[in-house]
Amino acid sequence: MAFLERSTKNTENRYWYPEENTFPVSNRYTTGVAGQRFFGELKDNARITGTRCHSCQVTFVPARMFCERCFARLDDWLDVGSEGTVFSYTVAYVNRDGSAKPEPAIIAAVRVADGILVHRLLGCNAGEVTIGMKVQAVFRPEAERTGSILDISHFRPV
Amino acid sequence: MRKVAVIGAGMTKFVRRALETPKELSFEATKAALDSCGLRLEDIECVAHGSAPDAFDGVHQKGEYLADGCGGWNKPTMRVFVGGATGVHAIIHGWYHVASGMFDTCLVVCEEKMSNAMPHAQGFFLTIFDHTTERALQPNLLWIFALEKNRYMQRYGYTKEDMALVAVKNKNQGLKHPASQFKDPVTLEDILNSEVMAYPVNRLDVSPVSDGAAAVVLASEKVAKRLTDKPVWVEGVGWSLDTAYWGTRDLYYPRYTEHAARMAYKMAGIREPHKQINIAEPYDPFGYKALHHMEGLLLSPRGKTVQLLRDGYFDMDGNLPMCPSGGLLGVGNPIAAAGMMKICELFWQLRGEAGERQVPGNPKLGVAQAWGDLMQVSSVVVMGS
Ligand SMILES: [Zn+2]
Repeated sequence: MAFLERSTKNTENRYWYPEENTFPVSNRYTTGVAGQRFFGELKDNARITGTRCHSCQVTFVPARMFCERCFARLDDWLDVGSEGTVFSYTVAYVNRDGSAKPEPAIIAAVRVADGILVHRLLGCNAGEVTIGMKVQAVFRPEAERTGSILDISHFRPV
Repeated sequence: MRKVAVIGAGMTKFVRRALETPKELSFEATKAALDSCGLRLEDIECVAHGSAPDAFDGVHQKGEYLADGCGGWNKPTMRVFVGGATGVHAIIHGWYHVASGMFDTCLVVCEEKMSNAMPHAQGFFLTIFDHTTERALQPNLLWIFALEKNRYMQRYGYTKEDMALVAVKNKNQGLKHPASQFKDPVTLEDILNSEVMAYPVNRLDVSPVSDGAAAVVLASEKVAKRLTDKPVWVEGVGWSLDTAYWGTRDLYYPRYTEHAARMAYKMAGIREPHKQINIAEPYDPFGYKALHHMEGLLLSPRGKTVQLLRDGYFDMDGNLPMCPSGGLLGVGNPIAAAGMMKICELFWQLRGEAGERQVPGNPKLGVAQAWGDLMQVSSVVVMGS
């Protein structure tokens, strides 16, 4: 396993840390072993990657460290391209506070290899979207990419 | 009820902060447990996993979130959660799955990623206190342990030094555990000179906040005998919950632990636990708790425990070795995984596979215990070879 911070000296191990001396709670997540590489590929190479389980014949997107079906450790990394198909979609008309959106927003579950990326779909009207339509990821410019799923700005029809 | 055996065990290192996601940590422990007994995921019929508050990992419905890392894909999967006692409670939860006759194999997996809580898990503990009578004082968890410890010390005339001996013993024993994050020994002075967090609790009286996972594989008698020559049997299980008005309890004596222990001993046919038990893994998030729990487990007479500790009674070569794993103080405290680590330790000890930590004399019977919720629940498991 991999360590982001190590604390190997008993006597120096802290209970809480001086720079962290207040408790308004939030979380800080790690992307994980597979996530670190997946998001690194998005950021550095504008590339969507998956990992393949050869015994189950499944390519997981986003890439995962292990196959949930057979528990194989996955190390076959594939560039799965930037295209996918609309697996399902919704059109959102209201904001989270209940107010009307100025423009309806299309949210699509995009099938890429054997996985799904849920993302915004731009470049078409709600009436033009169909399940099964081909779409393509549009990446943000390199300088704006941070290693986030939002390094993909949106998907658009091919 | 059918007999249930532990046939495999595995765990990750317990570290300050791991890159692995909670799912990935769970996978590593689960995979290690499966590999240890030569089983594949397809051989497993169900999953019983345990993890403490969702808040630590920062994922609500953590049971569902963790399931694939615990081998739960397309299988009957059920999570149990009783705060700090979860790690020992989880094997009871798994035991039911097999003892009932419903399943022949069951994975029991515990995980905690404490470092996801920002800036510290204490922020999430705030809301376990009564919202009107206590929370206004901005308590942290150390306070209630400090109150309990102070009462325990006062009742029997124990000193801070007496209590610090446990941290010295367990932290130095933990150096022998491959999953421990620590590499250097500590002295009594180190413990006593570390800063006071909340009197009488010093910083090094407290177990280290950690990330980690641990897992075991359970099997019915028929399957266990087919797969291994060295099954370790779950001989007895018990658990008990005291009042949530924690300040109204004795504090100096964990009677809920005694209730849980009596239940487990009765099932295991144990009449004189202090004579029959060869190894004890009491829950030790704080040094004094190990002693407090030894009394509750009926393994040490009330008020005599410090003398026995000083006399070496609980040493590795003593009459009743205590925390041969190094415990939470020595290995680390990823809450649920820490309790499961104690179950793993009994498994390795009772099979004679504990390496450098092996208790001499072929131990045959061990007890593990964990404690949690609002310091009012104990779960106890007796295991035998
Ligand atoms: Zn697979």
